[in-house]
Amino acid sequence: MLGPNGAGKSTMLSIALGLRAADTGTTKVFGSSPVEALKAGHVGVLLQEAGLLEDVRVSELVEAVAGMYAKPLPAVQTMRAAGVEQLAGKRIGQLSGGQRQRVRFALALAGDPKLLVLDEPTVGLDVDSRRSLWQHVRERVEAGSTVVFATHYLTEADDYADRVVLLSEGRIVADGPVEQIKALVGGLEVRFTWKDADPGRLESLPGVRQVHIDGPAVTLRTNDSDATLRALFLDLHEIKDVRTTATDLESAFVSLTGGND
Amino acid sequence: MRSYLKLELLRSMRSPANLILLTGFPLALYLLSTKVLQPKGLTFDFEASHMVSMATYGAMGGALFIGGAIALERTNGWLRQLAVTPLPAHGYLTAKLVSGAVGVLPSIVVVLIAGATLGGVRLPAATWPALAVLIWVGVIPFAMLGIAFGYSMRGQSASLAMMGVYFLLSVLGGLWLPVELMPSGMRTLAEYSPAFQAGSLGWRALAGQWPTGTSLLVLAGWTLLFAALAAWRYRRAL
Repeated sequence: MLGPNGAGKSTMLSIALGLRAADTGTTKVFGSSPVEALKAGHVGVLLQEAGLLEDVRVSELVEAVAGMYAKPLPAVQTMRAAGVEQLAGKRIGQLSGGQRQRVRFALALAGDPKLLVLDEPTVGLDVDSRRSLWQHVRERVEAGSTVVFATHYLTEADDYADRVVLLSEGRIVADGPVEQIKALVGGLEVRFTWKDADPGRLESLPGVRQVHIDGPAVTLRTNDSDATLRALFLDLHEIKDVRTTATDLESAFVSLTGGND
Repeated sequence: MRSYLKLELLRSMRSPANLILLTGFPLALYLLSTKVLQPKGLTFDFEASHMVSMATYGAMGGALFIGGAIALERTNGWLRQLAVTPLPAHGYLTAKLVSGAVGVLPSIVVVLIAGATLGGVRLPAATWPALAVLIWVGVIPFAMLGIAFGYSMRGQSASLAMMGVYFLLSVLGGLWLPVELMPSGMRTLAEYSPAFQAGSLGWRALAGQWPTGTSLLVLAGWTLLFAALAAWRYRRAL
């Protein structure tokens, strides 16, 4: 589930997990109500900003949660998978934000659930922790379980999702394989400086969907960065400092919904 | 569910707040009153009756503060996390009540031991365990009141409000100073208060007497009232 902050990702997950009632419609998880699916231990959940018990050790909390499930993983294995085995003996009150997030991930994994629901799982994590979290997610998917995650990072959806549901202002604006969504938001941004930028020439470059000029700073949004760059270097010799970046979803959204930058 | 109960028991056993506030404080008050202040002109054995008062006072706090933990865990989002585990909502409450019930035992036992050793209280052997059980039963209404608070208020404000109620009810119930020293109007009010009736279970046991029917009725009434309040607040908070 992909969308900018405030798009309704957490709300949708809350409804799917039975934490909130839907205004209309019904929710089913594995054919039963969300609460029944949770009770049966089919679902492991990482909620955004969920509280933890401050006065217990990491291992104690993981063991207590694992014990609620019928067929949990051994706590040691869960802690290793979530990268908190080094912290097993620490009180949760002493942990940093990133470490707490890893503990939340451990709690989601503890019951070895068929479905893993992760709401913004990498918030507050450093690069290594992010990578190991996604690696573990991939292993689970390959082993046959389902992982639903919410993110506002396009790259995370790009790298790890088979299917993307794009949300904006509480509505689903797109739902499909990741390539389809990427085409919709316009893959890459090309930035460079050009003193007297000519918007007409820029717009006629191949692949370009949108041109933004701010003094000498130019930003192009393009569907086909290879073609755009080739044309750019061939035709425009005045430009300097060319660099490309993945489209920032938040600004892509602005362009999709027709708002101002 | 059993694993969560285990965790809660562990927490209640090593909580410094429990140890200091609910065991150390009643113990210190007991020693202060019986060794330093020593009120004169009482017609009963103050060492023994105050031992019961302070044990009841400590246990009452333990029962009430079940709610303090609930309020904190509700506020910091832990209950939200629990809501997405297989633990049913009543499983959480049961774990809190059972761990709370075990958690009040040290307050009772420590003050009784202080009475027997430092206070020189002498009682028939069977009276000691009876006292512990009676005090333990007497504070049940406060556990209900604590839960009602826990589901009504958020974070620290619940603990602050409960401190106030704790203090008021224990003073009114004659746990700090015997009701015999109160003016008659206040005394009548005091005798219908839950803390007085909780204490009176133990005070009567000192003289080898069974609890009166009034005591049991009044305590049952408060328990029902607070339980209804707790159930109502609990449903509102879901």
